[in-house]
Amino acid sequence: MRRMINKKGNILTQNIIFIILNLIFLSILVVFLFSKMGSAAVLEEKYAKQIALILDSAEPGMIINLNMEDAIKIANKENRALNNIISIQSNVVKVQLREKGDYSYSFFNDIVIDIDFSIYPDTSSIPVKEYVIFIEGDN
Amino acid sequence: MIKNKKADKIISVYWFAILFIVAAAIVYMVISFYGEPYDIREAEAYALTNKVAGCLSEAGYLNETVLSEDFRENFMEKCKLNFEVEDVYGWREWGQYYVEINFYDFSTNQSISSIKKGNEALKIDCDKEGKTFPVCLERSFYTLDKEKNQYQINVLSIVRKTDKNVQ
Repeated sequence: MRRMINKKGNILTQNIIFIILNLIFLSILVVFLFSKMGSAAVLEEKYAKQIALILDSAEPGMIINLNMEDAIKIANKENRALNNIISIQSNVVKVQLREKGDYSYSFFNDIVIDIDFSIYPDTSSIPVKEYVIFIEGDN
Repeated sequence: MIKNKKADKIISVYWFAILFIVAAAIVYMVISFYGEPYDIREAEAYALTNKVAGCLSEAGYLNETVLSEDFRENFMEKCKLNFEVEDVYGWREWGQYYVEINFYDFSTNQSISSIKKGNEALKIDCDKEGKTFPVCLERSFYTLDKEKNQYQINVLSIVRKTDKNVQ
């Protein structure tokens, strides 16, 4: 009788360890997947190319609102100032969400561009999610 | 009884081996998917073609100045194009864009004029297939001038930028 109780205890412990190990293993896998999906490097490339394509097709006088919520989250984590995330010099877009590393991509449309966080006058009460790109000139 | 215990151990080792194989496959797929850059060259070539077409012709009519010498010489300024690129992979020395526009008389099919801008050497690779070669896009459209003369305009747009779009 006593042996049986011990045996049952062993089986239970083994199973619990086995399940815990499986869970640890799977959670490491899930963390890896999510870290790859939303990594700063991937988002920098995505946004730099997206902005370059938008600017290639842009016309003077356009106002373009770009939702960059996920990039802004990462920039906040990395303590990056929001006005330095996107910069455009000559005809090269640079997106930088972290201290070390950035992504640049050129566009061919020869336009004058101005970038702001938000078009609304008071953004203090609204969390910034969008960047507004102004293409100067009259259409 | 001992046999059962051994069998259990073998099964759990086998189970972990399967888990590791599955995990390794998932990790490999994720790395190869997210490690691969987004290839936007085709979209860029389309945008370039549209930009050029919009510059040459407006509302179906050929812009009057398009066939002039001044337009041909100052094509980049007139069409608001800038082929400067970032200074990486030696891109600045080679040039990553090329545009060739050929104007034809629609009735006689004779060439009237042509404009070539950018790195002409990229044109050689247009026949080749494969991601590592530049993306070439050729489009043609029909247009009229104010005197109702008919023209066919062929636009060839080439975007290289292979290093940042293909691994």
